[in-house]
Amino acid sequence: MAAQELVIPDLEINRRLTILPMQEYYTSGHRTCQGCESALVMRYMAKVAGPRTLVTGTTGCMYVANTSYNSTPWALPWAHTQLGSAGSSAIGTAAALKVLMRKGRIAEEKINVIAFCSDGGGGDMGLATLSAALQDTRYNLLILLYDNESYANTDIQASGMTPWGAVTSFTPSGSEQRITQHRWKKNVPALLMAGHPTGRYFANASSGFGMDLMDKVRTALDVGGPTFVQTHDPCPKGWDFDPRMSHELAILAVECGITVLWDCLEGELRYQGLTKQQVEGKVRRKPVADYLRRQGRFAHFVDEDIDFFQSRIDEMWEDWILPGVLRVNQTPFGRLPVDGSSPVHPWHAGQDGASGNGNGSGAAAAPIAAVGGNRG
Amino acid sequence: MSDETSVGAVDVTYRGIFQKNLAGVITKELVKAARREDKVGGTVQRYGDSPERNGIPAKQFAVIADDMDSLRVEMTKYEPENVVVVCVMDDTLTKGVESWAWYGVRPINLNLAPGGTLLVISRRSPEELLHWIPRRTYDWNLAILPGEPSFGGLWVYNDDGTDYRTMGAVARVTGGLVSLDSLIAEAGSGKDGDLRAAQLREGYESVTMHPVGAGVGAEDTYVPVEMPGWTQMREGLVVPAVEVGKNNTLFMKYTTRTTRPLVKFDACVKCQICYTVCPDECFIPTPEGHYDINYQHCCGCGICAQSCPVSGCIEMVDETVFESNEPLHSVFESDPAAYEELRAEKVAQAGGANPHYGIY
Repeated sequence: MAAQELVIPDLEINRRLTILPMQEYYTSGHRTCQGCESALVMRYMAKVAGPRTLVTGTTGCMYVANTSYNSTPWALPWAHTQLGSAGSSAIGTAAALKVLMRKGRIAEEKINVIAFCSDGGGGDMGLATLSAALQDTRYNLLILLYDNESYANTDIQASGMTPWGAVTSFTPSGSEQRITQHRWKKNVPALLMAGHPTGRYFANASSGFGMDLMDKVRTALDVGGPTFVQTHDPCPKGWDFDPRMSHELAILAVECGITVLWDCLEGELRYQGLTKQQVEGKVRRKPVADYLRRQGRFAHFVDEDIDFFQSRIDEMWEDWILPGVLRVNQTPFGRLPVDGSSPVHPWHAGQDGASGNGNGSGAAAAPIAAVGGNRG
Repeated sequence: MSDETSVGAVDVTYRGIFQKNLAGVITKELVKAARREDKVGGTVQRYGDSPERNGIPAKQFAVIADDMDSLRVEMTKYEPENVVVVCVMDDTLTKGVESWAWYGVRPINLNLAPGGTLLVISRRSPEELLHWIPRRTYDWNLAILPGEPSFGGLWVYNDDGTDYRTMGAVARVTGGLVSLDSLIAEAGSGKDGDLRAAQLREGYESVTMHPVGAGVGAEDTYVPVEMPGWTQMREGLVVPAVEVGKNNTLFMKYTTRTTRPLVKFDACVKCQICYTVCPDECFIPTPEGHYDINYQHCCGCGICAQSCPVSGCIEMVDETVFESNEPLHSVFESDPAAYEELRAEKVAQAGGANPHYGIY
């Protein structure tokens, strides 16, 4: 194939993509798994960002698989940054560009700055730097968090964004304790959105909805200021499913209401695509069992675990003030029991059948007896 | 195993992640059985394979020695040297293996010791397999254990007896590294001892041996990859970026593939979905709106076949029936009928479309 002419994509807020840009800036020849959806996210991101882009990436699959052993599939300038420093690298790069332009060392032009991190590097370790980057309105930067729900590069250790009950190297399922991942997945985009009024754009996307994801990346780059996009990417290695199902599972997660497609531009929250139809009541959510039963990491689930998972998802949709995004309920303890008994959330009580286990995450009401968990 | 050397290694070459637990069981059980015979042993996973990726060829070794000193010497090496058996857990690996780390595509029997045995789990004949396996300058043996490749996942193990059948076959083909009796005794100490013993005996009896003379087999085109020394590398570990419109030619992913997508261009509705969903950017747009496939970089994940809205348009076909990685759209362009004939022939040869993977 002959070298293509560099085409700078046309970016415009609020105009949906109808034609896929054909240039690739993240090309073939990466050391990812078969069916790696995070690689697809990198591809979409690079596609819409175009050639005038600087990318930095924290340690994780998308660093190790793409730049090891003296070769790379990146056609964009890319630099590695330490695990947990996506925010600092983004802000440093953006500030350096600004200074170089002010001093006349490089031409004044729009150069996109993207820092990507994964759920471990961004959602766990790098949260502080993401927070710092999203506070500074002087610079234009995008932080993209690709969420494959574990530390997948180092052979699947649980992160703060691993779903409840999933098997990982750190949370195996045994005969004594069926469930060892007691933590509910943290909602990083909503957390960042709620806490950073300075951030101009926040979005949650899914690798299964490529056009929507590309629209979100494009909007973030165009609106400028500190922006954040998170994507949900199935990982065939860590979730234990046939690689050909990757894309379907990403779509299924949205259909079941587990992944919620939303964005928030300048403080205005919007839902997209299938999620929008679910919020408006035009489409019913599928049962989460459809999603859970197709993954080896949930193979140990019994019906009661699935019911518990479903009840948490239902609550997220029915009781939250912003369905699937922000948990501000009617009572401090969640849904009021219909029989009028004491309003202790089952999540914190951990005693009524479900394998729920309060880990005392900011809940003063959590009974101490529940810490350590009831054996599933 | 020759009598002079007091140390021998069993190399298990397998599909990363899908067969990781399988290879782990085989190597560990072999070492435990050898210890029952007053030998010493250890298992080792090649550094360059870790962390593993789905489907990418990987290796684990069981090193068995008569005394501790010989074992220590062998275990300090990057890869054990006296490999008396190479167990190939999936027959598509015979086309060559490229590790996760950067070595280039290596022949499956590269490290096999003279007189050693290549044990392949396959339903194919020795002639079919030797079509792919490169020749050596010494005599070696090809052993075939009839069976389908066993694919599992990281968390859910595909317990179909392939592990113990393979160990039984290893006991037979090495003739002395580990005996069948000690394997049965070792299996008897665990769960399902009788079932395991039956599987060990089945593997021991059903494996077939085919001596291969020096110079028999496919042409050996292996050229070791020349690694850049530190003087040739750029400062600060800078790696040159790919030119826009080109690919990373230093790492191609095709040895990861067990099946490849084959497109029925006649049925294509030009919806662009395969192009959009391919995580490896392997679909090349053609002027008339079809999508040709770059088989050099395709890793055979099957997402395209799964996402294609037209039934039977993209089918996953067993890799061993294909000779080259040349894109096929040019054949279709020059003669659509001939292409369709070729496609149907390949699908028939492979016994139908078959994405063979784990249980989930």
